Amino acid sequence: MEQKFVGFKCKACGRVMSTKHDRCLSCKATEFEEVELPKVGKLTTYTKLYTLPQGIEMPPLTLGIADFSGIRMLGQVSTDYPKIGMLLKPVWGKLRKLNEKDIYGFKFEPLE
Amino acid sequence: MRDVAIIGAGMTKFGRAPGDLMDILAEASLRAIEHANVVKEDFDAVYVSSMLAGEISHQTAVASSLVDRIALVPAAADRIENGPAAGGSALKNAFMAVASGCYDMVLVTGGEKMTTADTDIVTDLVATMLHPTAEYIHGATLPAMGGMLARLYMECYGLTERHLAMVAVKNHANALKNPYAHIQRACTVEGAMSSAVIADPLRLYYVCPISDGAASLVLCPLEKAKKFTDKPVRIAGLGQATDVQALQEREDPTVLKSVKVAAQKAFKMAGISADDIDVAEVHDAFEILEIAESEDIGFFEKGKGHLAVEKGLTALDGKLPINPSGGLKARGHALGATGVAQVVELVWQLRGECGERQVKNPKWALACNFGGFGNNTVIHVLERGW
Ligand SMILES: [Zn+2]
Repeated sequence: MEQKFVGFKCKACGRVMSTKHDRCLSCKATEFEEVELPKVGKLTTYTKLYTLPQGIEMPPLTLGIADFSGIRMLGQVSTDYPKIGMLLKPVWGKLRKLNEKDIYGFKFEPLE
Repeated sequence: MRDVAIIGAGMTKFGRAPGDLMDILAEASLRAIEHANVVKEDFDAVYVSSMLAGEISHQTAVASSLVDRIALVPAAADRIENGPAAGGSALKNAFMAVASGCYDMVLVTGGEKMTTADTDIVTDLVATMLHPTAEYIHGATLPAMGGMLARLYMECYGLTERHLAMVAVKNHANALKNPYAHIQRACTVEGAMSSAVIADPLRLYYVCPISDGAASLVLCPLEKAKKFTDKPVRIAGLGQATDVQALQEREDPTVLKSVKVAAQKAFKMAGISADDIDVAEVHDAFEILEIAESEDIGFFEKGKGHLAVEKGLTALDGKLPINPSGGLKARGHALGATGVAQVVELVWQLRGECGERQVKNPKWALACNFGGFGNNTVIHVLERGW
C-alpha cells in the first residue's frame, strides 16, 4: 500500500496543520480532512546528531525541518551533506526500532 | 491573595551523588529547613518535583516517601511532573497554596538521580517529552532540537558558534565559584570550540551535563516570615505558559512563545518590567537557549541576545548577570531539581549569601524554567522582602 504524505486541513477555516490536533489551532473546529502535501520541500534547518537515543544505530543521524509550501515537517534527512535551502522529497522508510519493533515513517531524500 | 515568602533554601552538590534519589531529596530538604530556622515546625504540605523518578530510580509516589524520611507526616504530599520544568511547577503549586490561605508552611523539593542510568537510556527517556509522532519517532532528542534551533539562529540573526562558546565560558567561570556546581573546570572559547560535536552545531561544551542533585525551598506567608528570618524573599510574580508542542509547527520556531507569555504574566503580576531585574537564572540546557530566552523574557531585543554576551552584559560583573550559579551548563541539570535550584541560587543572591559569585546588591531576580522543548515554561520573579 502506498503511504500518503498528508497534512490535516480544518474544514471550517482551511488551516492546514502538520500534526494531528482534535481541535483546530486557529478556530477550535473539530472536523478535518487529510490533504496531500506538495512532494517537494525545502530544508530550513538541520542537525547532525552524534549521540543517538536507543533504537537508532550508526551516527551521525541527520535530522531536519523541511518546509512543504508553508507546512513544516521534521524528519530524517538521507544525506551526510545537508544544506539549508536544499530541495527534498518525502520517502517512506524505516525510521528506528522502538521496543523491538521497527517504526516506519517519511524520511526526506535530496532531489538530485 | 496573601504575599508569599521564601524563608529558607538548600541544595545538594550537583554531580554524581553517592546515595539514591530519596537520600538527596532528604538532604536538600533538611538543609532548607535548617536554613529557614524551622526545624521544630510542622509543615502543612510538601511538593516534590521529579521528572524521571519512576523511570530511572524505579520509585513512584516519591513525595509520600519523603515526608516519611524527614518526619513531616501528616503533611499533604504531592509529586509534580512537568518535564524539566517540574521544579518551577512545584514552586508554583506551593506558592498558590500559601497565597490562597490554604497552607501556612510548605516545603518544595526537587530532585533527580540520573547518573545511575546509561546515557543513551537517559537521552531516550528525556526525548519522550517531544511530540510522539512528529518528533520522537524520527529519532529527535533534546540536543537535536537545540542544534536545529541554534542553526536557525545562525541563519536568521547572525549568531556564530563563538557566541555559544562565550556563554559556556561565562557559565563555567561562574560555576568555579559555586561549591554546589557539577562542573568545576574553567574553559576557554578555543577549548569549547574544539570539543566533540553532539548535535551539530552544538558541541559538548554547549550542552548541559547529566547530573544528580536536589534542591529545596521553604515557603510561608510573608507576614509570618519575620518570626523565622529577617531576610524573607517575596515571590512577587509568577507566569506559566505553553506553546504548540512540535517546534516546526510554531509560527516562528526561533520565538519561544511560552517564555514570552510566561515572562509577560510574571512581570505584570510583579508590577515591574524586564529592565528592573538585577540577576537571572535561565534554563540553558543548551547555550543557545540562554541567548534565546534572554531575548524572549525581554532582557534584550530579539536576535540581539548574542551581542549582549559579546559585550559582557550577562557576566557576573555585567549589567545583568545571567546564571551566576553556572546555569544548567555548569551548575548542572538534574531535571526535576533544576527549577528549584534556580530559585535557591536567587534566594541566596538576594540575601547576599553567594560568596565569590555574589552579584552586587540585587533587589529583583528572575528564574526561567523551560519544559519540553519550550512548550511549557514557568517563570518566577523574586523580590528582596525586607
Ligand atoms: Zn480552523
